[in-house]
Amino acid sequence: MRRSIAAGGLFAAGSLVPVSSALAGQAGEKPAAPAAGQGPEKLPHQTGSHVPATLADGKVTQPRRELPVLHKTSVLVVGGGPAGTAAAFTAKRMGVDVTLVERYGYLGGLATGGLVLGIFPLYDRGNKQVIFGIAEELMKKLDVLKYGIIDRGKAPTYPTFDAEVLKYLLADMMLDSGITAFLDCWGVDAIVDAKGTVKGAVFESKSGRQAILADIVIDCSGDGDIYAAAGAAFEKVKTNIGLISRIGNIDEVDMAAGRGSEDPGKPVTGKPSEGRPSKGRVNDFGGHAGNSTPAPHMNWLNMRGPVGDALDVADLTAMELKHRRGTWSNVEKLRQKQGDEQAFLAETAPQLGVRLSRLLDGVKKLTVQEIRSGAKFKDVIGYSGAYANAPEFQIPYGSLVPEKVENVLAAGRCISTDFEVGDITRLIPVCWVTGQAAGVAAALCIQDKCKPRNVNVAKLQNILHQQGAYLG
Amino acid sequence: MTFLARVPRRLIQLACFVGALVLIWPVLPWAIAPRLLQQASPFVVVSSSIAARSIGVGAILALIVAVVSSFKKRWFCLYLCPTGFFLENTNHIGLRKVSWWRNCPPIGRYVAVLTIVGAVFGYPVLLWMDPLCIFSSPFAMNKSTSVVSVILVSLGLGVLVGATFLFGMLWCVRICPLSGLQDMLFAARKALWTRMAANTPTRKFVEESSGGRSFSSDMKLVQISGASAPAAAHRFNAARRVFFAGGAGALLAFGARALGAARYRKSDTLLRPPGAVPEDRFAGLCIRCNNCTHACPTKIIHPDTGHEGGLAGFAAPVVKFDRDYKYCLETCNACTQVCPTGALTALPLEQKNKYLIGEALVDNNLCLTALGKKECDACEQACPYDAVKITWDEDQYNAYPVVNHKCIGCGACEVVCPTTPVRAIRVWTLKPS
Repeated sequence: MRRSIAAGGLFAAGSLVPVSSALAGQAGEKPAAPAAGQGPEKLPHQTGSHVPATLADGKVTQPRRELPVLHKTSVLVVGGGPAGTAAAFTAKRMGVDVTLVERYGYLGGLATGGLVLGIFPLYDRGNKQVIFGIAEELMKKLDVLKYGIIDRGKAPTYPTFDAEVLKYLLADMMLDSGITAFLDCWGVDAIVDAKGTVKGAVFESKSGRQAILADIVIDCSGDGDIYAAAGAAFEKVKTNIGLISRIGNIDEVDMAAGRGSEDPGKPVTGKPSEGRPSKGRVNDFGGHAGNSTPAPHMNWLNMRGPVGDALDVADLTAMELKHRRGTWSNVEKLRQKQGDEQAFLAETAPQLGVRLSRLLDGVKKLTVQEIRSGAKFKDVIGYSGAYANAPEFQIPYGSLVPEKVENVLAAGRCISTDFEVGDITRLIPVCWVTGQAAGVAAALCIQDKCKPRNVNVAKLQNILHQQGAYLG
Repeated sequence: MTFLARVPRRLIQLACFVGALVLIWPVLPWAIAPRLLQQASPFVVVSSSIAARSIGVGAILALIVAVVSSFKKRWFCLYLCPTGFFLENTNHIGLRKVSWWRNCPPIGRYVAVLTIVGAVFGYPVLLWMDPLCIFSSPFAMNKSTSVVSVILVSLGLGVLVGATFLFGMLWCVRICPLSGLQDMLFAARKALWTRMAANTPTRKFVEESSGGRSFSSDMKLVQISGASAPAAAHRFNAARRVFFAGGAGALLAFGARALGAARYRKSDTLLRPPGAVPEDRFAGLCIRCNNCTHACPTKIIHPDTGHEGGLAGFAAPVVKFDRDYKYCLETCNACTQVCPTGALTALPLEQKNKYLIGEALVDNNLCLTALGKKECDACEQACPYDAVKITWDEDQYNAYPVVNHKCIGCGACEVVCPTTPVRAIRVWTLKPS
């Protein structure tokens, strides 16, 4: 567990390195040799060999070309966020060959890079925890790390972790897992055979455009990039996109009361304004902004943001820039408040807080009517806790399986639900739940040589149960 | 009348008592049933009709009572009044020793005069002294959410029972404005008849001589309340008292209306049930029968301790939204249907859902969304009128709930708001913008 992070130097080398396989001595398909030198290395002078896109008659075209196959694997997990890491770890533990690809330079996705530090929804209406499995395992590991996590087992208050500690933990687990991981590597396309069956995915990285071939692909990209590219049907939604920040040196006075809870009956916070609030009054941060984190004097501050299209680069760019300007002005406003004069902006999240973009049309579309009525599913693979006005609910395996395309599973926020349910299944612990189920299901597909839609559900549930997952 | 005289009085009283219970306890599939009880009181109907400048169909009941009572002295008290029946029985087990009050003037008549004159000025001052309201009020106890409410709804009847136990039939004989009004009706009818008889001397009236005889001998109440020998000085005194009572009624009406209006202007938290007339007249028209409290399925109507409505509004219904209960449902207009005086206008459901109870306002210093604490949109989800929207404010670079003109102050948002101890979104007294 306490492996030296010196191995992390491999990440810093910036080259596309299948870290774990290199460390574990496993032969990757085409692993580049780790940069082992002590000093800067001078390589021979080169001329670009790549054939560029061409502009002719006002049209830009890219030449048809064969892609190098970087790697071959059994289970390919696209995306290293909560769902992707959960899927990769669980699949690997079932003894199959797993490869994980992540767009950013760290693991954890929105949990770490998005600064969504609160682990909610975790509890049912009666404050009983209903999410275990890999989620509980990660929280237990965070428990023993200093400044790792607070408010464990204090339902209805949800636990809050530290992003950097989770980044460390996931890197540490990844290095020891035997999973072949590629970071700084963006999944851009699906690979399908003549019958339309998915056979892998295409990635863009500093190494260029490369292919990874796989028997089963788990789409944990959040945006459903791979299943969409493979031709699966989906529903596109636009919702608020924010940017979370961390504020340091924040007023300590309110800290104990400063934490939100998902239980409407439990205390939250605040000094009420004096007298009658005026109509349309704007926030002057007279209350206690954000929620405390394990780091002392450090709050994480959520931002709802305007509605935007998470699949539109112009929208995303505008928000990246404007959100940072807005966050700065809010911090300045915050400093007007007594006790918070020394507050500082510790960090804005590296990743935008995209809530939802694509929602899969799966074998089963989970609807808000079903979750409100407490629907039970034969193929339940886990629970979501109660959130806002919705009670705890079961998540069926059918929500992870595309209706049409074969050999793909979805996990994380892009699974098959309606908008209202998606607004809950997008949350961090629920992504752990769907990720774990997708990982086990993918491994079963390999072991039993079947398609995701034909997975033996009883067996799947049995294994999930053995792994400590809660299925009711 | 002759038939009624032959039936034992107790039996009729008992039947009426049971009838009153049936009306109050809504076993009848008829929403307005509870208010029929109070509308049998001519005191309530006369005063509230004058004050509201309108008369309803329910007045027919009171008219019948008034006509019969003007021929049969205190007929209502002796046969129909459930409060009277209750107090008579209390009197039987009570001490009944004290009779110091027997020389008291007939206060009930002056109360009635004061109230009716007040009603002319829009504020029937002591209408809450009607015995039928006092009788029905404790039945709202099953909708009480606090000990204070239980005390408030049962205060009137409790005081009457206590007084009767200690002092005998003081209330019925001397203080009750309904019996006072009946006495005046009887006296007026008699005076009219006498004058007409003087003009046509051949006619003779049985009632005049049989005034006290037709009642059972143990009813001291009748002998006491019977008109005493009208000495000239006494008549002058009575006239003076009536004049003073009327003057006091007018003054109190003006005063109370001004105070009520001022109170409403100043208050931020005073909320009345849907259909309530403007605050300056509400506390007067409201007779504290608690029919509305009893009718409310979500227990949001509470008798006021005076904290919201002041002394004049003591025990009048106020709306309070409690997290443990629900809001003013969009499917319900029960409270407006049971008000006997029109303090709550009888609104059809569609109209009730447009009545402005108050307005929801958001304290962004408490709102979880505005403070960046969590993704809370409980108010937006809960609003039945589509009046609350979590809105992104590009200038402030923040999101918070914005309430639009569709808000009627039903409290749906307030009861779901998760912040404690103070909720971020609350319904406030409506202010003219």
